[in-house]
Amino acid sequence: MAQKKPDLSIEFCGKKFMNPFLLSSSPVSNSASMVERAFDAGWGGVVFKTLGSDRLRIDHPSPRMNSMTVGTRKMATVQNVEQITDRPLKENLMDLLYLRKHYPDHRIIHSIMGFADKEWEYLAKMSEDHGADMLELNFSCPNMTIEGSGDQAGKSFYDIEHYTSIVKKAVSIPVMAKMTPNITDMTETAMAAKNGGADAISAINTVSGITGIDLDSLVPQPNVFGRGASSGTSGPGVKPIGLRFISDMAKDENLNLPLSGMGGIETWIDALQYLLVGASTLQVTTGIMHYGYVIVQDMIEGLSDYMASRGIMKLEDLIGATLPKLGKTELFDLDRQGVVEYNLDKCVGCGQCLNVCTDAGGQALSWNAEKRRPEMNENKCLSCMLCSFVCPVSGLIKYKAMPEGWKRDETIIRDPSLEKELKYEPYVHDGDPGCLV
Amino acid sequence: MGINDVKDRFRQMPPGMNMDQAVVEAERCLLCHDAPCSKACPAGTEPAEFIRKLRFKNVTGAIRTIKSNNILGGACGVLCPTAVLCEQACSAKMFSDENPGGTDRPIRIGDIQRFLVEHSREIDFRPVEVEDLGVSGNIAVVGSGPSGLSCAAELAKMGYKVTIFEALAEPGGVLRYGVVPFRFDDDFVEKEIGDVKALGVDIRCNSPIEGKAAAENLLTQGYDAVFVGPGLWGAHALQENSTDIEGCYSSVDFLAALRNGGIEEIISEFSGKTVAVIGGGSVAMDCVEAAARLDTADVNLIYRRSYTQMPAEEVERIEALQHGINFYILHQPVEFLTDGNRLTGLKLVRTKLGEPDESGRRRPELIDGTEWDMPADIVIEAIGNKAVEESSDWYPGVKVDNRKLIQADPETGATSVPGIFAGGDIVRGPALVVEAVQDGKVAAGAIHKYLSDKE
Repeated sequence: MAQKKPDLSIEFCGKKFMNPFLLSSSPVSNSASMVERAFDAGWGGVVFKTLGSDRLRIDHPSPRMNSMTVGTRKMATVQNVEQITDRPLKENLMDLLYLRKHYPDHRIIHSIMGFADKEWEYLAKMSEDHGADMLELNFSCPNMTIEGSGDQAGKSFYDIEHYTSIVKKAVSIPVMAKMTPNITDMTETAMAAKNGGADAISAINTVSGITGIDLDSLVPQPNVFGRGASSGTSGPGVKPIGLRFISDMAKDENLNLPLSGMGGIETWIDALQYLLVGASTLQVTTGIMHYGYVIVQDMIEGLSDYMASRGIMKLEDLIGATLPKLGKTELFDLDRQGVVEYNLDKCVGCGQCLNVCTDAGGQALSWNAEKRRPEMNENKCLSCMLCSFVCPVSGLIKYKAMPEGWKRDETIIRDPSLEKELKYEPYVHDGDPGCLV
Repeated sequence: MGINDVKDRFRQMPPGMNMDQAVVEAERCLLCHDAPCSKACPAGTEPAEFIRKLRFKNVTGAIRTIKSNNILGGACGVLCPTAVLCEQACSAKMFSDENPGGTDRPIRIGDIQRFLVEHSREIDFRPVEVEDLGVSGNIAVVGSGPSGLSCAAELAKMGYKVTIFEALAEPGGVLRYGVVPFRFDDDFVEKEIGDVKALGVDIRCNSPIEGKAAAENLLTQGYDAVFVGPGLWGAHALQENSTDIEGCYSSVDFLAALRNGGIEEIISEFSGKTVAVIGGGSVAMDCVEAAARLDTADVNLIYRRSYTQMPAEEVERIEALQHGINFYILHQPVEFLTDGNRLTGLKLVRTKLGEPDESGRRRPELIDGTEWDMPADIVIEAIGNKAVEESSDWYPGVKVDNRKLIQADPETGATSVPGIFAGGDIVRGPALVVEAVQDGKVAAGAIHKYLSDKE
């Protein structure tokens, strides 16, 4: 039976996006000749590299980036020291006009950053006058060499609200504020943007970090002529942080703004997970830095097939679908326990399970050296799942819920005879019950 | 083709892995508990440990693991039949009935090992040092092949003064004179032996210990113990004195000539000729590969059993086929054809496989009426090495068997003469480099114990 194709289009701040996949504001959206390649590859829109007013000159440090390799995985995280665009505003606007003219159905979002009230206002108007569908206010670049800008503004409730309200007064197109993750609670900074009139929030910008230090010169990388700095780190390694902040904001009923999610998206699965925690558009840079614009095709196809397989025809039905199941750890049902279950038919006998269980788990495994197979004492299994993570054979080790009331053995006391030497007295809590209120 | 072009084909082995490839390979390792690869190494080179160290970017430590366990770790990385040793045992090996969860293919352990040893040279890192256990003693080692070098290095590490007596012009034994240079080149040989010399081992070339009781007499000439590892340099032949026929070589002479100044003579002799190599082992494969590089017209390999019965490694057989060697399997040579004393060919008889023989392999039986003459200008007999006829005279007190192989205690290498130890092919018969390395290690430990007990 022919199945209807799932619809990946989405409405975001009243604008129709053909799909949720956008280039984020970064080197991958630096010029029209790049962005047109991206649109031709299938991206639904762009947040163009952040525009500046030309008042203060922007020079990018050199070299601009460092990659952290984990095992053979290149660019597991990437650290950059780029700033906003170094191109003259005029030239950027010409490129944006080109894109507006040739790609009327693609959503073109101008990212802007001012260094003073009037500058924000000016850039907002310039953008609206040159066909921007929306604005993204860059409150979050951690690499700016200009005092008080970038994520320095994004850590100040006052600045966020103030600049947002200036922009909102200047233009009629929707305004999205881009948040830095280099804070504790993004619902608060996002609320400042909302108070200033923001129509949407995008997050996360890069996480301030250090990906490496050169062991000869002892300079942090990227080594900018003898100096390094904590700076914007991105890529698959930051995905958990991105999902956390997006879900925090999505669950905040007071905030209640549409969200554009980003941070480590490379595959349709990453993308879907951002949608499930409440993002309705998605932005990508590091994945493109690594593999090029083509990855959007796998994201579109993979997401469509997933939706089709579950009979979900509209993207919006996925957005936030995980949120009811996402809560605080205190809500866990701790009475229910489980163990891992081994299907040794496909075991290769490497014994990594034994290593991790013995040194980091419940010491529940023993080793049959002759058969080269693990043997489990189920009553000692902590269900930490480490063995399933290191096992080279997918699906060999699975979680198994145990019947209600099942309890595992206590951890073994190494030398019970030491009991006679104990000076132990049980803790007795008097008076104020403290945190158990 | 000029002589120098042909020589170039012999000079160098193909490049090994680089760091990127080695890291990718190490990343595939499953880091097994009680690792089967390490257990499968006859010389205890501990692949599991050096691969783990590489995985955790402890590159110098990985080199230390190899070289401190096996001073000829580079040679073994290149020459070991890993497919039947460590890589055979690898848990990551291909999906199969015994290994239904198998991933893909074993880790390329030998290649990683070679890389790490070559890398040690690139970064000038030599991890093996004399530990000086406060011992004193002079040890003589007869033969600078793998067992002798390994024994010498182990003893030198402990602080003994070791002298190796080598009959030939250059050290290395089978590493140099028994392997074709394009599998293991001079440069690599020199560097491996350089690591032994760096421990203070004195290698004396052109110093044969021959003649009546010469090896035993070392014990009365200032040496406290002797390790005998001369290898097997006699050649089996299909008929007595076959090598007296013009155009007929033993594999021993042929391979040695490729390393000596003799190569130019070989090149001019082989050019344009049809060569027949008799045998199905690794040495026969080396011979056909070498012959093919000599601008020969045709190279025919003659083997009396079937393809799968060949002792040569699978990869060697495939490589030979790919290089255009004609395999005449199930063919038994029965006569050298000559014109005067000049070889003109071989009389061959086709064989079929009958009942299993004492080796467990089905016995080749001649098929009546299938004789035919294969024209050949040159024949190389590669049907096995044996002890040099007079070798037992060098150590008359040492018990040998009917093949003149020394009967040594496999646990210690001790012979029937106190103070004389032995290892390598002269004890085992034709065996692997890595096994000879192990013999040398074992004997070194036993020599140390012998001398300590004597004090």
